Amino acid sequence: MYEVRFHGRGGQGAVMAAQALASAAFQEGNYAVAFPYFGAERRGAPVMAFTRVDKDKIFSKTLIYEPDYIVVLDDKLCGLVDVSDGLKDSGMAIINSAEKPEDIKLGKAVKCATVDATTVALETLGQPITNSAILGAFAKATGLVSIDSVVEGIMDIFGNRIGERLATKNANAAKAAYEVTQVGTCQGGFECEKADKWLPGYDELPLGLATRPMETPEGLVGPGSFVDNKTGSWKTFAPIYDPDKCIMCRMCWFYCPDGAIKEVGEGDAKTLEFHHEYCKGCGICANECPKDAIKMER
Amino acid sequence: MVKRVVTGNYAAAFAAMLAKVDVIAAYPITPQTFIVEHLSEFVNDGLLDSAFMRCESEHSAMSACVAASATGVRTYTATASQGLALMHEVLFIAGSAHLPVVMPVVNRTVAGPIGIWAEHNDTMPQRDCGWMQVYVEDNQEVMDMTIQAFKIAEDKRVLLPIMVCLDAFILSHTVEPVDFPEQDKVDKFLPPYRPDHAVLDPKDPMIIGSFSPPEYIQEVRYQTDETMRNALEVVEEVNAEWAKEFGRDYGGLIEEYKTDGADAILITLGTVTSTARDIVDEYRAAGKKVGLVKLRFFRPYPTEAIRKVASKCKAIGVYDRAVSFSAGGPSWIEARNALYGYTIPVINVLAGLGGRDVTEPDIRLMFDKVLEAAEKGEAENEIVWIGTRGVKP
Ligand code: SF4
Ligand code: SF4
Repeated sequence: MYEVRFHGRGGQGAVMAAQALASAAFQEGNYAVAFPYFGAERRGAPVMAFTRVDKDKIFSKTLIYEPDYIVVLDDKLCGLVDVSDGLKDSGMAIINSAEKPEDIKLGKAVKCATVDATTVALETLGQPITNSAILGAFAKATGLVSIDSVVEGIMDIFGNRIGERLATKNANAAKAAYEVTQVGTCQGGFECEKADKWLPGYDELPLGLATRPMETPEGLVGPGSFVDNKTGSWKTFAPIYDPDKCIMCRMCWFYCPDGAIKEVGEGDAKTLEFHHEYCKGCGICANECPKDAIKMER
Repeated sequence: MVKRVVTGNYAAAFAAMLAKVDVIAAYPITPQTFIVEHLSEFVNDGLLDSAFMRCESEHSAMSACVAASATGVRTYTATASQGLALMHEVLFIAGSAHLPVVMPVVNRTVAGPIGIWAEHNDTMPQRDCGWMQVYVEDNQEVMDMTIQAFKIAEDKRVLLPIMVCLDAFILSHTVEPVDFPEQDKVDKFLPPYRPDHAVLDPKDPMIIGSFSPPEYIQEVRYQTDETMRNALEVVEEVNAEWAKEFGRDYGGLIEEYKTDGADAILITLGTVTSTARDIVDEYRAAGKKVGLVKLRFFRPYPTEAIRKVASKCKAIGVYDRAVSFSAGGPSWIEARNALYGYTIPVINVLAGLGGRDVTEPDIRLMFDKVLEAAEKGEAENEIVWIGTRGVKP
């Protein structure tokens, strides 16, 4: 039995990668399961998916806490989430990164493979979607599944979702990544910031979970989200606000899913402030603005 | 003290007025309609200063009650049968958010086939929503329990919504003398509702019932379980206070009638209890050792009280006006669960489904079955359908 934990961001396809790996292992006569863990996740939020493979039927229905392998679809996650948490000492980390394994810093020094899956994906798919390419790296680094089986797994899972033509491109991404994967050992001892989770006992939890808001400068957040959850690190595009075009209709404020827009000033001087620590760059505000007062820029 | 001859529906409505409810949100349904109509008249005539909302469905009515109660005001509604079924998903929200809404439910058969008469298959299936349920026997108890219901529900140790369950037509549309409690005494008994756990106020916002990951919900469930258990004690306290102030003692969680020295005890709930009292008298006069337990609260379930009863008799029968198909009546299932480890026979007697009249011969047969089990130490049939054509009881 081996267990794999995938770390990605909502929208990067970690779940499909986990499923395609299960399908690949299944092609080789194994029993395999893959499953997601959905928290209060939204696009861009750190997510996890899991694959378990064995010769015999797998009964365990729990999440994976001590994986043999971790697969990280976005190396920026390494600073945010303790990706190597529980990883066995004999385990291995497979990371999408332009760096060499020796330059990667994790919680522990383990065998490590890196591949610049983003570049591979841009070249083969024309998009920075790395969930197929990283599986090529997994095949190369672990030898647990052949690249041919990975191709079959991708054709099976991706083919069902996005059609044969696009699945073939993804299979090609995996093959290309297989060729450029580097294997070595990463550095250990890296400590990532632990989010302070509010986990009171039932007798300290407000009755029925009716909470006074934990007020952030940006607005109100409930028990599932936290002042410490700096969603700003998720963004690729940032809103650029033009106060001259703005008519203060507050549509952007109403629709912003992260409470990242705040009204400031009094009377005619009223204007908006965008809080980039929390803005995750979803672009909803720009989409809703009737006056084109918000532009999304990299 | 004023005595008037009124229906159960009138008593339920008048009790809400005596409790000075702030918000009433309801939708009419037979046989509950008169409760809502009486209240709309009280409000219209200036007798009751309450926000009255006639909603477009029971789902909306319960949603309005949840929202109103979450602002920290005393909230009331009433329904029956299909109306309660339509409220189902919102009932959980009131329960888990600890909103002490009081709701008389006029027990009526849930379709199909469509029927309007008394059956408990509307309230029994709602037992896991986080609502308390009390079943009443006469119109005086409708009045008294509706007022007590507020006090139990609003107790800081409980803070759970409650259904006051009264049988369709047998109470809702039947007139009988009812003693009307005086307003000043009710005011003293039931002070205004002043919560701090759930008070929606734009000036001091709160988040109630928002999306919560698995890290939280299990503790919320435990809270509901604990507060429901706390209610066991609160029911007794409130009953004792009511008895002291108003002179009527309902026994709290259960009421025992001639159980001392009884070999065979029948546990009933709702209006069948009244007819059963007559049969107990008749059988006792004939030297038959029978007794009666009126199960008042179905949630919280009085496990300890039922165990005490079982330790002093030789057999128990449990009457149900609803059935959980293939498993027996809900009240019997609960009693057997409470009596796990006891060796006396505990049989189920089912009668009056769909509002069929439960007659004196029916109830005599129930007692006969329990007496027979007491004598033999075992029962031929655990589940006995009484008065069902083609089925041997
Ligand atoms: S892009 Fe706009 S809507 Fe999205 S989080 Fe940022 S401010 Fe809010
Ligand atoms: S939606 Fe556009 S116009 Fe309206 S308040 Fe926001 S930025 Fe201003």
